[in-house]
Amino acid sequence: MKHIMLLLLGAAVSTAAIAATDPRTVPTQLPPAWQAKTRAVFKQAIEIPSVHNRGEVPRVAKLLADQFKAAGIPDADIHFMPYEALPGDKTEALIVRWRSPHATKKPMLILGHMDVVEAKREDWKYDPFEFREEGGYFLGRGTSDMKNGDVATTMAAVKLMSEGFKPDRDIIFFYSGDEETQGKGATLGSTQWRNLTDAEFGLNADGGGASYDRNFRPLGFGISMAEKTFQTYFFTTHNRGGHSSRPRPDNAIYDLADSLETLRTHRFQPMQNPITRGYFEERARQEGNSPLGQAMRAWLANPNDGAAADAIEANPLEVGLTRTRCVATMLKGGHADNALPQTAQATVNCRIFPGVQPKDVQAELQALAGPKVEVTPDPSYIGVPTPASPPRADVINAVKAAALRFHGPAMHVFPVMSTGASDGSFFRAQGIPVYDVDGSWGISPDDERAHGLDERIPVRAMYDDVLHWEMIIKALAG
Amino acid sequence: MRHLLAAAALTTLASTAGAAGPQLTPAQRTATHAMFEHIVNTPTVIGRHKVPEMAQFVADQFTAGGFPAADVHVIPYHTGSATTGDDDTAAVIVRWRAPGTPSAKPILLMGHMDVVEAKREDSTTDPFVLTERDGYYYGRGTIDMKDGITAITQAMVNLKAAGFRPKRDIVVLFTGDEETNGIGAKKGASEWLDLLGHPEFGLNADGGGGGFNPDGSPAGFAMQTAEKTFAGYTFTVRNRGGHSSKPRKDNAIYSLAHALDKLEAYRFTPKLNETTRAYFTAKAQMDKSPLGDAMRRWLANPNDGEAADFIEASESEVGLTRTRCVPTRLFGGHADNALPQLATAMVNCRIFPGEDPNAVTAELEKLVADPTVVVTRNDDNVASLASPLRPEVTAAFTNAVHALHPGMPIFPEMSTGASDARPFRVAGVPVYGTNGAWVQVPTDFRAHGKDERIPIQSLYDNVVHWQLMLRDLAGK
Repeated sequence: MKHIMLLLLGAAVSTAAIAATDPRTVPTQLPPAWQAKTRAVFKQAIEIPSVHNRGEVPRVAKLLADQFKAAGIPDADIHFMPYEALPGDKTEALIVRWRSPHATKKPMLILGHMDVVEAKREDWKYDPFEFREEGGYFLGRGTSDMKNGDVATTMAAVKLMSEGFKPDRDIIFFYSGDEETQGKGATLGSTQWRNLTDAEFGLNADGGGASYDRNFRPLGFGISMAEKTFQTYFFTTHNRGGHSSRPRPDNAIYDLADSLETLRTHRFQPMQNPITRGYFEERARQEGNSPLGQAMRAWLANPNDGAAADAIEANPLEVGLTRTRCVATMLKGGHADNALPQTAQATVNCRIFPGVQPKDVQAELQALAGPKVEVTPDPSYIGVPTPASPPRADVINAVKAAALRFHGPAMHVFPVMSTGASDGSFFRAQGIPVYDVDGSWGISPDDERAHGLDERIPVRAMYDDVLHWEMIIKALAG
Repeated sequence: MRHLLAAAALTTLASTAGAAGPQLTPAQRTATHAMFEHIVNTPTVIGRHKVPEMAQFVADQFTAGGFPAADVHVIPYHTGSATTGDDDTAAVIVRWRAPGTPSAKPILLMGHMDVVEAKREDSTTDPFVLTERDGYYYGRGTIDMKDGITAITQAMVNLKAAGFRPKRDIVVLFTGDEETNGIGAKKGASEWLDLLGHPEFGLNADGGGGGFNPDGSPAGFAMQTAEKTFAGYTFTVRNRGGHSSKPRKDNAIYSLAHALDKLEAYRFTPKLNETTRAYFTAKAQMDKSPLGDAMRRWLANPNDGEAADFIEASESEVGLTRTRCVPTRLFGGHADNALPQLATAMVNCRIFPGEDPNAVTAELEKLVADPTVVVTRNDDNVASLASPLRPEVTAAFTNAVHALHPGMPIFPEMSTGASDARPFRVAGVPVYGTNGAWVQVPTDFRAHGKDERIPIQSLYDNVVHWQLMLRDLAGK
């Protein structure tokens, strides 16, 4: 569940003296031979439709494993871990250990996931599982969430091995197969498979990243160190139904629609934590004296200033950072075109502020939905609130160095709270701090298409991400 | 799809069900029972390929009754759709020719031979074994509408045996897929119209009929003269979607929910036509309650929307004052963690006769008033028309009902459902639902439901009813 950092530089911050260059047109620093290798693996990965229940994840695992194997990782250190995620969803995790010949530190974990969100051919302009390069972009489901990160981390390791690099700590690559649905792979990885995954800390390729605005001004590089709790609820209505030629005032679909109207306008209580305070301090500095910058300063000065928090939340770039948010994502109802519905159901997806209990959110939703609607948590995934990871200077410095190389000094690096939920939460919950540090980047908001239509990544962002991970690995394990 | 009169207790007129009137002879009764039992026991559900067998049996009754084979046709045809599955079915067409050169065009008698599915495990007795119990015949099709097939067939056989000679042609069309796709009726109103002799009007045994209240008082008989147009619409909202951790104001599901909230509050303009005016007039005469007051006010002033709204809000009258649309199905989204790219609602409309379904599209668009909500039609049904009340048909129906049930109140009726009559009405052949079966209301309203049944005497009364109707309309 990729979440590219998005920040908007306020108009008040006038770096406009420097004519901004389109970052997509800057040549990549990755040598052509490695571009070709990376592109070939990326193409194969995108063209495997590793959506839940399709049984395709093991093919992605084999593709990545083959790269490690060809680079010299022995079979004994490559583990295919089959498991069942959603009922009937036979998927797989891949665990690869790159051993240090003279380890002086505890191992380091690199996280990713191989599954992707469903994408329907009829919704997309092109076949989502056909790899395309067009207009400076790679297109296809998973190009930004997150087969880019899988391929970048794998190819960085392969490249380093080919150059004779020897890490001074074991590096464990953990790629799960159900991050988008259950997170069961990460649950197992952080518990039952801990003998294979135990590490001092984790670096997650499913988050982080830099972004530019449409005028190509750098917006920042966020390292996610905390994340909201993912919890889906169902809003369900029931009715005795009947013949559609005789409509009645009581109607399961209308009852549901009424509750969705209420949900649409409901806002949860604003909240802050040290990570978000750090984030808004940086943002307020960037925003200067703009109305948004003023609202941020007002809210930092007085956390009870709800109006300021609302103004921040209403900004498309800050959505989800000031509080718990819930949104309707799916609908179903009725059984025949000519019958009054006997049941209707909406799926409501919530991202809960760290520290808030999902059962309290359920109670709040039930109160707003009213007695005609039954609010229940999705039994297939019960969210567990997780702690923020403590800031680590070595990780932050490694990211800063990489950001400076690829984006220049104007690209600020700072901590953020992710509004998405990722595999990192399961490792955090089990005592392994996790930092989202992927080096992919995009133009905000145009390239933010994870889970959406016509997902894409700038070609250069893909190639430079290989070099980014090479730098991170060298810095933290060299 | 049988729509029996759903009238509640309306009157203090004293009468008893099955009062002695004209009766069948014992031999006619036996023949009627034998035919009814045979066809109820033939499970003419879509997919079971049994309609052709029943069609041949029914045709054989006519030829055995002396109708020339050249005028008795079994016409196989195919029915099917994505939702119903496919079947080979059949229609029966019979033409009883008047001697000489009749001055009037034929009268069409209509019915359908197929029935709705009934499962053994859902029924008290085997629904495809005619069972006599507690004064009833039980079985699928006993009131929808193998009673009417039996009554029309036996009435014609009896009349012919009695030496009756019609003064105009009587043609029969029994279709084989009314409950599913209505292809037989569409063919009847187009390619088979020559074979049917371009009838002047039709009498449909799949409409009309009457009832008695549980206390034995008459609930009234209805003659169906109009039906609303069935039309399906889809509300579609598309959105670029995105990640559910970052909700936006534009959201396909919220836009759809908002449109449905508007639809919930919306009421189409109330309308009266000849049928519903006569219906409400008859009802108002007997109803002294606030509902009756509202009917009187609306009849006096058709612009009294408040009165019409009061009537429409009554569970017994819903759908009779205007076009109604209701959402019946919802679909939306593609993943629980993604903002929806697509949300749709199926909206089922029952359109007042004469209104163009395309005009309803425009009205739905207008009430939703959101260009992101796209309204499209799911079918190409055209506007159903009300059949003008014909004095001779009304008189024949009234006389037949009163011969068997003296003093019985009679209403014209607009059906909110759809039947084989619609394509004929659209093709310019007025159709009247004039069946003569009666039941106890509402306990016997079991068409499409569990333990369908007909009072034993009602089956035989219906044969007499059709004999009386035909003598009246084709004998003068």
